[in-house]
Amino acid sequence: MATSESSETSSDQDSRRRFLKYAASGAATILMVYIPGATAGHRYSRIWKQRSKEHQWAYIIDADKCIGWGGCVRACKRENNVPDGVFRTWIERYIVTEDGVYVDSPNGGLGGFHQADPEIQKKTLYARFIPKMCNHCANPPCVQVCPVGATYKTPEGFVLIDHDHCLGCAYCVQACPYSARFINPVLKKSDKCSWCYHRIKKGKLPACVEACPTGARKFGDLNDPESEVSEILREGKWSVLKPHMHTGPTCFYVELPKEVV
Amino acid sequence: MINPSPWSHLYRLGILLGAAFVAFLVIKALATPPSWNHEAWYRGDALIDMASQPLAHGANESCRDCHEDAVKKVKKLKHKKLSCEGCHGALADHVQDGDKIADAKVITESRRQCLNCHAELIGKPKDFPQFTMAVNKHKTIEEGAVCLKCHDAHDPTP
Repeated sequence: MATSESSETSSDQDSRRRFLKYAASGAATILMVYIPGATAGHRYSRIWKQRSKEHQWAYIIDADKCIGWGGCVRACKRENNVPDGVFRTWIERYIVTEDGVYVDSPNGGLGGFHQADPEIQKKTLYARFIPKMCNHCANPPCVQVCPVGATYKTPEGFVLIDHDHCLGCAYCVQACPYSARFINPVLKKSDKCSWCYHRIKKGKLPACVEACPTGARKFGDLNDPESEVSEILREGKWSVLKPHMHTGPTCFYVELPKEVV
Repeated sequence: MINPSPWSHLYRLGILLGAAFVAFLVIKALATPPSWNHEAWYRGDALIDMASQPLAHGANESCRDCHEDAVKKVKKLKHKKLSCEGCHGALADHVQDGDKIADAKVITESRRQCLNCHAELIGKPKDFPQFTMAVNKHKTIEEGAVCLKCHDAHDPTP
């Protein structure tokens, strides 16, 4: 009796051991197949395989030249029918004082700015207007999180949204470290700056660049070594927003104060 | 009487799973847009849709078609670098399909148009001309006077 019981237990243990062995090897096989793909960031490399040799567009913002008049914001609104309260591009004013940094952006800078509070003005060290928009990252977090492939990086460097395909789940809105995305209250879809793709394709500049009276906003082709943006980047005085995020923005800032985030 | 196979319930399950897999493949093929870019993972036709968005702003060269003299004149003046549409409104609000639909906006009764750029604000470049009461003539102007009474909008020499 005792023998038969012990033999039953041992065969039970055997089958359990066999099951665990198969389960472990199965899991290991799955991991071996999938992990290299995941760690190589396959979607990122897939994007760069399709990099255009013709054009690589880039955007440059010169923080020293912006006067905060808001014409770019108005032009963008009109060009792209952006609803009230949301912005594809907006202007922030950074006022650096002895006891902290004041940032304001009244209605995205749509109607320009008003003079700062006299108390703040007294202790101001310096102030700058900083236009902001989608950075059209080389490694865009918004594209990586989109569950349906409705946002994508084109070979020429645009990060665009396919409004026919977008579900409006807003994962990308959360993923963007620059807060450049929003849910369009009219379309109920994700929306953001497109670098005026339709204008570029017709040989024109983005609406905000056309509207800028001081040349604070520039747009051009990095593949053309003679272009203004190539020349500015060659000077090497540029920086990008949140470089520690490793998003690789192709929207470069010149004379960017270190307080700007 | 033939005994039914002891595995028959598994065969049925297998057939069901197979059918579900085929259905999945069919639905996937139907739901994937024909222009789908499998490499970069997006609908290829979306680029055509994006490019078909109508232009609202035509840029300064589009003004030249009708206002050649005015564009030529402004080219020599102080505000030559400015976008016409910045003050006069978008082209699409003025012309559509080659026909004039409304007058272009010209604001002459408000200071806002000028002060949008030239209001005195901290943060502006030092050499940028900003409205200031320190100018002698500004000291004598009446309350709410319009800038364009004395200045030319296209050539605003101080």
